[in-house]
Amino acid sequence: MSEFINYFIQNFSSILGLFAQHIQLTVLAILISIVIGVPLGILITYFKPSKKPVMAVANIIQAIPSMALLGFMIPLLGIGTKPAIVMVILYSLLPIIKNTVAGLDSINEETLEAAKGIGLTRLQVLYKVQIPLAAPVIMAGVRISAVSSVGLMTLAAFIGAGGLGYLVYAGIRTTNTDQILAGAIPACLLALLIDYIFSILERTVTPKSFQLSVKRSPIKDVIDKLIIVLTCFALAGSFIYTNMGTKSQSVTIKIGSMDFSEQETLNYMLKYLIEGNTDVAVEQALSLGSSSIVLDAINGGSIDMYVDYTGTIYGSILGLEPNSNVNEVYDTVKKEMQDRYQLTVLEPLGFNNTYTLAMRKDTAKKYNIETISDLCKVSKQLIFSPTLTFVERKDCLIGLQKTYPIKFKKIIPIDNSPRYTALESHECDVIDAYSTDGLLKKYDLKVLKDDKSFFLPYHAIPIINDRIQEECPEIITYINQLQNYLNEDVMVDLNYRVDELKQKPKDVAKDFLIKNQLIKE
Amino acid sequence: MKEKEVIDVIEFKNIYKSFKEKHVLEDISFTINDGEFVCIIGPSGCGKTTALKMVNKLIRPTKGTILVNGKDISQENEIDLRRNIGYVIQQTGLFPHMTVRENIELIPKLKNKKDKHLIDKVKNVLNMVGLDPDEYMDKYPEQMSGGQQQRVGVARAFASEPDIILMDEPFSALDPITRSQLQDELLTLQANVQKTIVFVTHDMAEAIKLADRICIMSDGKIQQYDTPEQILKHPANDFVLNFVGKKRIWDSPELIKAHDIMIEEPIVCRHSLKCIKALNIMFNFRVDSLMVIDKDRHFMGVINAAQAALEENKSKRVSDVMNQNCVTVSSLESIVDVLNIAKEKDMYTIPVVDDGILSGLITKSTLVTTLSKKYDESEGE
Repeated sequence: MSEFINYFIQNFSSILGLFAQHIQLTVLAILISIVIGVPLGILITYFKPSKKPVMAVANIIQAIPSMALLGFMIPLLGIGTKPAIVMVILYSLLPIIKNTVAGLDSINEETLEAAKGIGLTRLQVLYKVQIPLAAPVIMAGVRISAVSSVGLMTLAAFIGAGGLGYLVYAGIRTTNTDQILAGAIPACLLALLIDYIFSILERTVTPKSFQLSVKRSPIKDVIDKLIIVLTCFALAGSFIYTNMGTKSQSVTIKIGSMDFSEQETLNYMLKYLIEGNTDVAVEQALSLGSSSIVLDAINGGSIDMYVDYTGTIYGSILGLEPNSNVNEVYDTVKKEMQDRYQLTVLEPLGFNNTYTLAMRKDTAKKYNIETISDLCKVSKQLIFSPTLTFVERKDCLIGLQKTYPIKFKKIIPIDNSPRYTALESHECDVIDAYSTDGLLKKYDLKVLKDDKSFFLPYHAIPIINDRIQEECPEIITYINQLQNYLNEDVMVDLNYRVDELKQKPKDVAKDFLIKNQLIKE
Repeated sequence: MKEKEVIDVIEFKNIYKSFKEKHVLEDISFTINDGEFVCIIGPSGCGKTTALKMVNKLIRPTKGTILVNGKDISQENEIDLRRNIGYVIQQTGLFPHMTVRENIELIPKLKNKKDKHLIDKVKNVLNMVGLDPDEYMDKYPEQMSGGQQQRVGVARAFASEPDIILMDEPFSALDPITRSQLQDELLTLQANVQKTIVFVTHDMAEAIKLADRICIMSDGKIQQYDTPEQILKHPANDFVLNFVGKKRIWDSPELIKAHDIMIEEPIVCRHSLKCIKALNIMFNFRVDSLMVIDKDRHFMGVINAAQAALEENKSKRVSDVMNQNCVTVSSLESIVDVLNIAKEKDMYTIPVVDDGILSGLITKSTLVTTLSKKYDESEGE
């Protein structure tokens, strides 16, 4: 608990920023969905035949998993706040439309006929009779939407829109419970607050005549008013807060990143490197998701640069057969990215985040193992615990067994970080690992040399679009400097500091650049 | 005295209405005069409400013309038309989210935004319907009884000062005592303001009580359109007879007039006749008295058998012995009055005399026969 409080205090300003961002995104989404949903609900009660199709579409949208919907948005709207808001709006529409229709339908037919009969025009019937009478039901729908929007908006972090979800997902990735809580608790409180505010609004729009039997103390009314006023101030404050500090600069570029901490550290590294040496301003789109999503983002123009890995593009994007020739892979990737997507691949950053095998140092010493070939000799006595993916992939275990005469005593697949714990507790002897994984340092493991160059090269490569080439080519020189300072060991150390020592990626990145005098303090 | 010119305020000309294949109204034509209170009545589904709603264009005829104040309403703006026609329905017609005052003000405000006397108008109409403005003006419909709500409904209809007021079964949801009260008040109100009122009901007693004329409908056609009296006494066809009910007249016995029950050709004799002759006539016609008249049929008196027989001088003239101070009634007096007179004077042979001329005779037996109908007619079916 005290750890959490410490974390919270230390990161207070960034949490506050994300909180403000979350409020803005949510409020904007709710407002737009009211503006769309209520009139739509009114319209379909007037044009009865349209009711079924509209409701069906709203229902179908509701049924689409939110992640999938977000995925569909990226090719259409790119990444960032736009698709996040659109997604939340789409989800919010159904309760609002449904309740608008239900509210209007619940009005006594005779009341409406009386309104018409005494000479109100259609519009007057609508705003003098129908809307006031349906308002409590409509507002109840808005309230449901608003509360669920807060939760849904945490997904915004996946596509770089920020918000409290950023803390939650970053926390899950690095198994940092404090960070998860720092995102989840404010999100929870925000949902409760929004529910409360909308309950006040609901009461405000309910005709007095429907509340005759409810006795309320005047003090409660004063409190309600106070809360509404405070909310307005907070909202205004949140807009001012996030708009502070955005200075106008000559060129602004946006750098994206995938959803793991190495990517985030690199993102900050590039940002500070560029901003520290040029006039170019850098915006960030962190944690966009997998490589292909980020590629979509750069193709859609919502980001201008990101860092990918040669092997990923070679295998997953270009769909080519595994190839362990480093230069061939790099050249192919560079050429194909230019031809297919008009994207420029810069020089490699200097480290290879590939698959590798790792074991406890004591075991390595005992059998005198340095390379995978060394391992083959004793592998029959050892238990191997790879990830599930590693077992299934051609360029992993299957290919490995073809290249090396390796045969383990037993293979027990364990997913992700638990396999490190298994290794430490001697439940297994060898695991697969990413060569820059901070956990390698945490558990002080021996990384085996791939002496037959079986594993594909996964060299980190910055990819930029034509905009950078045209508007700020000067940044390329600075980026190319990085390869002189980065290698696998450095990257393992940086990742270790983020994942295990819980240092902030931006601090780690800055620290690295300052130490290597790439930027001034 | 010059008779007031009768103006048609509402006129239906050959109105047809069908919903899909169903004919709701077929060739309806009728007129409603200025200041007249007309009830439209009939079994459910007869088209009475449809006809009513055509007056303010809530429903449009499939064929035919409706004139309001001489103008074809299909050419009129429906909003203006409706704002000049009061409309009262059951209490749900009030807007639940508005106070009594807001409900009443709604249309006058839309008609004239800067009316400074609006509040006086609201108070005035509330007083008219017997509600204390200070007590009820700021209440919501929900806080009032059904009867009070309906009073507000009526007040709202009067507030925009319309010439015509349409009422669609306004009192049907109320308990009988409240309903009767409101009916009485409506009659008083109508006597004061003389609006043209079209009132749809399914309650014959209500129609008879309120209406100047009743329009009985069934199957989309008008069966009879006449005064309550004529409908009760002379139903146009079996439908009306059955719908009205044969005994219905006994709910309003004041509608049964002396001329309806009298013997129209009583046995008479001239005043100059000799008593012996008069006795003969009585003997021949088996009656115990004769009406005495002159040559112009002026009523002179009554001679009965006892008087004539007791007279020793049989050659005396009837005029000398007849009873001249007998009680008479006019032919327009109701059976209630006749019975009262008979009871008071202990007289059961009552000549019916209009302007001195003998019209007929009511006897004990005519009264008994008439009264007995109240009990046996229903069994006759």
